[in-house]
Formats: sequence, structure tokens, C-alpha cells
Amino acid sequence: MNKLAQKYLRPSQIPTKACHGCGIGMIENWLLQAIDELGLKQEDVVFGTGIGCVGRQTFATWGGDNFGATHGRALAVATGLKIAQPDKKYLVVVGDGDAAAIGTSHLIHAARRNLGVTVVCEDNMGYESTGGQFSPTTPAGYVTNSSPYGMVEPSFDPCDVVKAAGATFVAETTATQWHQTIKIVKKALQNDGFSFVHVRFPCNENFGAYALGTRDTLKNLEWIWEHTQGRTADGKPTDFTWETGIKHDASNSRPEFSKILRDLVRKAGGTPASAALDRVEGVVVDD
Amino acid sequence: MAVIEIALTERLVAPWAEWQKRYTAGRRLLEAGTYALTEGAIAAGCRVFAGYPITPATDIAEYMSKRLPQVGGYYMQAEDELAGMHMCAGASLGGLKAMTATSGPGYTLMHDAYGWAITNEIPLVVVDAMRVGPISGITGAPGQGEFYVARYCTHGGNIETIVLSPNSVQESFWLTIDAFNLAERFRTVVTILTDQVISDMFEDLFLPHDYAELGGIVVPRHHNLAMPFYPLNSDAVDVPPNVVGLGTGVCVSAYTHTEEGYDIEEMEAQWAQTYRLVNKIRHHRDQILRYEAVGLEDAEVVAVAYGAASRTVKTAVLGARRRGIRAGFLRLISLWPFADELFGRDVRYLVCELNYDGQLVREVMRAAPDKRKVHFMGKSAELHTVAEVTAALEGVARDGRVPGLPYIWTDV
Repeated sequence: MNKLAQKYLRPSQIPTKACHGCGIGMIENWLLQAIDELGLKQEDVVFGTGIGCVGRQTFATWGGDNFGATHGRALAVATGLKIAQPDKKYLVVVGDGDAAAIGTSHLIHAARRNLGVTVVCEDNMGYESTGGQFSPTTPAGYVTNSSPYGMVEPSFDPCDVVKAAGATFVAETTATQWHQTIKIVKKALQNDGFSFVHVRFPCNENFGAYALGTRDTLKNLEWIWEHTQGRTADGKPTDFTWETGIKHDASNSRPEFSKILRDLVRKAGGTPASAALDRVEGVVVDD
Repeated sequence: MAVIEIALTERLVAPWAEWQKRYTAGRRLLEAGTYALTEGAIAAGCRVFAGYPITPATDIAEYMSKRLPQVGGYYMQAEDELAGMHMCAGASLGGLKAMTATSGPGYTLMHDAYGWAITNEIPLVVVDAMRVGPISGITGAPGQGEFYVARYCTHGGNIETIVLSPNSVQESFWLTIDAFNLAERFRTVVTILTDQVISDMFEDLFLPHDYAELGGIVVPRHHNLAMPFYPLNSDAVDVPPNVVGLGTGVCVSAYTHTEEGYDIEEMEAQWAQTYRLVNKIRHHRDQILRYEAVGLEDAEVVAVAYGAASRTVKTAVLGARRRGIRAGFLRLISLWPFADELFGRDVRYLVCELNYDGQLVREVMRAAPDKRKVHFMGKSAELHTVAEVTAALEGVARDGRVPGLPYIWTDV
């Protein structure tokens, strides 16, 4: 076990249950590195997830408090938690199904409200835990187990959606970009508002096998890397290009949602309710 | 028919029967059921409301948007009901008491959140102000179509639920405090099934002048700061709820869990979780039973109803007794767990509810000694008139059947 895992994760819940060669464990390691470089402690961060590969493989790995929401609703749960416990950092790690399909409306409205959470959308470009169906982020034309003739729908970029909705920090990166990802996640966590980090990673068992024709981890990583560069290893242009890096940085430029609600309470003459208590042993009463 | 006055035995079995005697200093208002419900929540310590506007529950949201900031609380208008109930679950998990309110079309959208909150033992109150359906039906007309939906409020089975229903503006206040108390004590979602009549109508309302004085009856929020987070194979109540954000290391998820909250795919863990979720409620049914009864001891025909429907039914029963019919009245306040113990007498039952398909009646048929003596009188979108119930009571008492009145479905 590496030192960061020892410091932040639950020994009983690692190593990851993800498939051989999956990018989820590697990205989580990078998240820990960003957290560590910011000097955050286990109790400073609440770790939230959804359903699917990313939800299942990361849930309860964090050594502090964890929640795994129903499919798509991690941000709705995080909204409630944030107003009850506003001083914590919320790291919500979800897949493309959670963020870009079943939970998109919550993503949009969390961005609009500038809810103080960092969403890391770990995107394996399809529903891989159910056997490899296409999702809204699967590139158009690619073969999956539910698009045997090629995906006929256009895909969409969740970064564009959250930026339009009002997110104050938006970035895109991939599992091939270690240092860039850490830099981005650190910035995201420092924004007192809604941060969205889109990280593409390879699925070898399904997307790799069916869309790209290989279960070789390095080849699948290479395919992603090539699409960040716009050209293949032998110099040909790729069929499309992903622009990675920070796409929008308006960090700390407008009030965070739970702060707006607390300010409203003061305006109405009340004292903001909070469950952030002094820590004591055993059962405590809050009133 | 000779006029014979039959002595009445009336009783209200509910905590507020005593609370109403204890708290007498306060304000008398003419207010709506939605207002009383909101004040009940505030008095119970509710500090978070998240919901989506829908008739006839919207007034609760509007009242909450004004009242919550005054008492330090937070009103959130969600993007849909799914988000609304998940936000409430998150807030309760963060340590604040929370409530949402909706009506039928929004209620069915909450099933995901229901399952999540019930499984994770998160205290929460959900109000469903029922209107006539199916689907959008008539927005301003009362219905009682979610009797079973409230019991089976999520997928997957393996749960037991607590559902309460008020029948007056005043009762909406006390019952809401009660609902919050049960939610805290049982670590679960408590549903208040009210209806368009009870939520929209204005009535005399007494409010205690200082809610801080309700300390003797309001169950405060406690926090569980140590393992086990999910006591397995245990029916214990009054286990403090878990809290996320205080660094206890608790894990909360949609999966079958271990006592630490980890996801697990072992049958023994599934059985242990189910035992807890079902039996913490079933083994304490006596602490949840709430009802109002008139003349049950000597009745030959008992009219059964809840919510708005019970109001005209009770009037009809009292009138019938004055005219010599040995009629009784049973109003269920706790709808689930179902009060089988109240249907032990082998008499005739007339079940009146605000739907034509018959829902409550099926439970009465199951619980009564002889289901052939259970009769159904449904009405859709409006209350039964006193005259209709009176005619039905007379018919059942005399001939063992409901007379064939128009628009009243009797074939269950």
C-alpha cells in the first residue's frame, strides 16, 4: 500500500475492486495526491459517489465520511449535506452515467446555485458495469454493446453544459495526464463554489474491447492520449480532438450556495442552524 | 323508528390527546391545514425544507420559505421531487431535521429517495397532500389514492413503513410534531398522508405561544458518533441517527450494508439488514398505533375511514346512533403498520374512502374475522355526503349490503 493510501484510505476497502487495468484506482490516487498537497485531513473531506463502475469502485474507499447516493442523485444529497455541514470539502466522484445522463439536471442546478462541491466526473464513455452500453459521452459512431452499428446519437460535452449553467471552475483532463490532473483538482478544491473536473479514462473490458478492438490497457490509454493531441502516434489526424486543461476559472467570484442561504437567515433575523458540533464521545444532543 | 339514544364511548388514542391538555397558553387562529402542518414542523425542530411546487402542497413550501429563515432554517426549491427528497435526506444526514411535501404526481417520483433514506435509517418527514388521480387528475379535488403507495413507497421490498393521516387543521399541527418524533425514534421516513380538503381548508387552530416550551414532547436530534452505525439483527428503537460530516467514518449508500456501512453482497448481511428495517417497526407497533373510535364496544356496524372522508362519516354515525342504529366509528390515524388489532370483532364494517378502486377496504377485509361482512363505499373527487353514509349504514345494518346509490362503487 502506498503512503497516500495509508494516510487517507480504508485498509479494509482497498485495493480497488475495479477490473484489471481500469483507470479508477489510478485517478483516485491522483485525487489523494491533490488532497495531500493542499494539506487537507481525512475529516476535512466528505467523499460522495453515485452508481456504476465509478460509484461502486470508489464508495467507502475514503477513510473519512462516505456516501454513495442513488443513481444520478449524488449532487442532490450533497446539496443537503453542504447546508447542514458547510465547513467541509465535498468531493463527489461520479461516472458519465451519473453526471451526463440520469443526473444531468442536478449537475446543472448545482452549477447554477454555485454549490460548494468539487465534482470529478470519471468518464469511461459508456455504461461499463452493465456490460458496455453507449452513454451521452460515447463518441458518435463508436460500436458498443447497445450500438452494434455505431452510436447514432451525437455525444455532448458536460463541461460546456456546466459552464453555461454557471459553474465557477471547469476543467477537462484524462487518465493520461497525471500532473495536469493533480494541478486541476487542487484548483477545483480551492474554489469556494461549484467545480467540475471531467476526467476520461479507459475501460478495457467493454469500451476498449468493443469500440477500440483491444483489451490492452496501454493501447487504450494511448487512444485517449492521441485524442488529446489530435494526431495518432504515426502522425495521422485523429477523428476528433478533446481539448484538455482548465476551460473556465471564475473561482471565488460569486457567493457559494450554502453561504447565500445562511446570509438569508441573518437577513430574516435568525441564527443559521448548523449541525457542526464540538466533537464529543458517544451520543450528543443538538439543540 | 323509535328514537333511542345509545350511550357513546369516544376515544382518541394519540399522543396529542394528552398534549392538548398540557399546552393551553397560546394563540387561536383561523388557518389552513398547510399552515398548521408548517408550524408543526417548525415546532418539531424542522430546519430544512426542499421540494417542488405542486397543488395542493405548494402552500407548505410557501409558508416554509417565509418561516424557516426566521428560525435559522433553510428553504430550497429543488429542480424536481427526486432532488427535493434527496436534498432533505442529505440535510438530515448532515444533522438537521428535514421535511418535504408533495402531491401524488410528485410523490411517485420520490421512490428512489424513499428507499435510500429508509435503508440508511435517515429520519425524514414526507407530506403527501393527496388529490384525485390517476396522474394529474383534478388538481383541486381530494383523493385517497396513495394508501398502498405510501406503504410500498419504494422498490425491492424488505421494508416496513410508518404512515399517519390527520383529519383536521388542529390535528395537522400535533400530528406533524408526532411524525418528526417517530422519524427520530425509529430512524426512518414517516409519511403524512393528508388530502386536498384537510390541507386547503381553514379551521380553528390553536398554537402554543412558545415552541421552546414543547421541549417535553419534541424528540431532539441526537447523533450516533460510534460503531455500530447500522445495528444488524436488532429491532432496537431510539438508536441515534448517523451523521455525515463529523468525521465518524460512517458510510451511507444505496447498497446492502454491513454494520460499518460498507457495501456487501452476502445473503447473511441482506437478511440482517432486512430484519432490522422490518422489525424495528413491526415489533413496536403498539408505540405507533393512533386512532379515534366511537361506540366500538357495542356497534353492530362499524364505519371505517381516515382523513377528510372521516369527517362526514363520523357525523353520519353519530346521527345513526341517535336514531337507534348500533353504529360505530373508527378513524385510522396511523395507516401503516396496519391496525389489525382494531378489527377483531365479528361485526359488519362499512369502509368509506375517496377512491373507487378500494384500497383501505382490502386491508379491512384481510384483518376482519369475516370478509363477507366488509362493505365498500368509495367516492371519487368529493366527500361522501352525510345522507349517503347514513343510507349506507342503514342498508348494511338492516340488509347486510350497501344500497345501490349512483356513483358509489361497491364491488370490491
